[in-house]
Amino acid sequence: MAATQGLARRSEGRAPILRIFRTTSFRFTFFFVLLFTLAVGVLGAFVYRASFGAASGQTDQQINAELTALADLFAENGPGMLTRVIRQRTVWRDDSIYMLIGAPSGAVLAGNLTALPPEALTAEGGFFDFSYERPLLDAAGREAGVVSRPARGKVLRFRATPDAEQSFLVVVARDVASREFLRERLAGLFQRILAATIVLGIVVGVLFSRSLLARVETVNKTARAIRAGDFSRRIPRSGANDELDHLSENLNSMLDQIERLMTGMRDVSDNIAHDLRSPLTRIRNRLTDAAKAGPDERDNALQATLEDTDRMLATFNALLSIARIRSGEGAGAMAPIDIVAVAEEMTELYEPAAQDAGFSLTLSSKPTPLVKGSRELVSQALANFLDNALKYAVGGTRIEVCAEPDGAKGAVLSVSDDGEGVAPEDRERVLERFVRLEESRSTPGSGLGLSLVAAIARAHGAALELKDGLERPDGGVGLCILLRFSAAD
Amino acid sequence: MRILLIEDDAEAAAYAAKGLREAGHVVEHALDGEAGINMAGAGDYDAYIIDRMLPKADGLSVLARRRDGGDETPALFLSALGEVDDRVSGLKAGGDDYLVKPYALQELLARVEALGRRRSAPAAGVTTRYQVADLELDLLSRTVRRASQKIDLQPREFRLLEYLMRHAGQVVTRTMLLENVWEYHFDPQTNVIDVHISRLRSKIDKDFDKPLLKTVRGAGYSISEDD
Repeated sequence: MAATQGLARRSEGRAPILRIFRTTSFRFTFFFVLLFTLAVGVLGAFVYRASFGAASGQTDQQINAELTALADLFAENGPGMLTRVIRQRTVWRDDSIYMLIGAPSGAVLAGNLTALPPEALTAEGGFFDFSYERPLLDAAGREAGVVSRPARGKVLRFRATPDAEQSFLVVVARDVASREFLRERLAGLFQRILAATIVLGIVVGVLFSRSLLARVETVNKTARAIRAGDFSRRIPRSGANDELDHLSENLNSMLDQIERLMTGMRDVSDNIAHDLRSPLTRIRNRLTDAAKAGPDERDNALQATLEDTDRMLATFNALLSIARIRSGEGAGAMAPIDIVAVAEEMTELYEPAAQDAGFSLTLSSKPTPLVKGSRELVSQALANFLDNALKYAVGGTRIEVCAEPDGAKGAVLSVSDDGEGVAPEDRERVLERFVRLEESRSTPGSGLGLSLVAAIARAHGAALELKDGLERPDGGVGLCILLRFSAAD
Repeated sequence: MRILLIEDDAEAAAYAAKGLREAGHVVEHALDGEAGINMAGAGDYDAYIIDRMLPKADGLSVLARRRDGGDETPALFLSALGEVDDRVSGLKAGGDDYLVKPYALQELLARVEALGRRRSAPAAGVTTRYQVADLELDLLSRTVRRASQKIDLQPREFRLLEYLMRHAGQVVTRTMLLENVWEYHFDPQTNVIDVHISRLRSKIDKDFDKPLLKTVRGAGYSISEDD
């Protein structure tokens, strides 16, 4: 445990730039850059092939056609005619390049190439690329030097007859300088586009992952603050309403839930302290006195102590029940139950005690749909309502238990009295105490009953409400406390 | 009664054993589940008191193994857990009663004695009549008579009296009454049981010289002939 924590901390503390390389967003961006680069490359290759591949094919065709024509000319009219035609065609104005070398002398008979390109010797019968020197003309048309230009050509050996010893070497070529120039421009352009794509991708990736990292870091910061003890901290939302905001919301509501549970636990332990300290103090004082007293007082003290400890045990059990109901245990026994039956049984159980306390306890019920719940827990809630009514309906004489349908599928279980009641504006606050369990409780045990009911209501998904109870003879109204159940599924 | 107490908390065990011995029982103590199983196999006991959480073999499996072997000795589970679900799983494993810690010693005594009664009257289903002094309860005709005088009881009062008479001479706690007569496993804050008892008492004792339904202070109630 400690070891893994140490590891985690170490990776957190690594240099930020290294951390960026390890983020998902960076890897994501990296692969995107790679993909874009590849796409640009494929596009470039395609454009190149489409334009220059075709042009170069055209050049080759022209050269082939010209060579065929020259070969025919040679076959029909002999070398003299060939020499003349080539001489005629040899004008620097266009891109055509020729060379005719007589055999066996090796003399250049015609053409505008000053020397046989070395590439021609190795590529006999095929195409070859070479560079040649060409006079550079100034504005007036005079020669102002030479320039080396790229060209592409083909070389063929012409023979008068298949077995003739005398053969002529013919080179037909095209100047490809303008095309090469364009090709280089295009290649350069693509290189720059490629470079720009990569640079832009990296910049965007770094910025993107840094902003993502910054937001993840706020989550981490909050988590660290909470770990350090500040449980009120929550992850701020960026307002973009994106996945990260949803994540923050979910984490926040999870934290709220945990805080609620923790508050519940703290409440329980506070209550244990509160509810058990006073009787313990009482017992201690009583025993101290009894140690100095006579046998009769001692007996009385022991008896009273016994009763006190019984009450403490009851308190303890109630606290444990609350904790268990709150934590969702005990919900396993949920089954469709009949609220009316619960109301009947509890009325029967409480009727004698109510009569003893000067109340008439009556039941009013209508057939009610079954609700999903625990008979034990709902009975316990109802018992608490009745306990409270008997304890607090001061001046009242009637208590009514009521079970009736609520809408098509729900049910309401209520206890109404004609006691002093609670003013409507105070009811919310009273319910808060039901739910929150935080105010100090002056009557021992009572607050526990209320929080037990609240826990039971929550476990059943039932609403706990206060409203006007039964009318008093003086025109006032008592209190009605009710549980509103939704339908059993 | 010979009681086997299987409990790993030595102090809690000593307290329970002392209380049970003072009430006249013979108590033997096992500190863990394995020892409990062995001792239960070796000795003849009238009741087992088994803690739910034990080292080596937990309480549920200890009893389940005894029950598999045909051991019908009544058993009471002690548990720090509580609540209905745990109670149900305890009863499913073959337990006859369930007591949540912390408990009052009186509660444990009353329940153990009720278990012992169950054993000494094994054909409980056959019993159709109970009698304590001149008070008679007939399960078949659902009538109650005292000194041959018929007494009218509400159905619940009848069940209450039936339970008390089935455990005649024993202390029955309020919690036991709530669990067995009303089938609730929580304790209301109002003294509902006391009022039911006093109503019952007014019907069966009021017009007669000798009170039979007695309050045992700090423990519960008992129905018996002697004082």
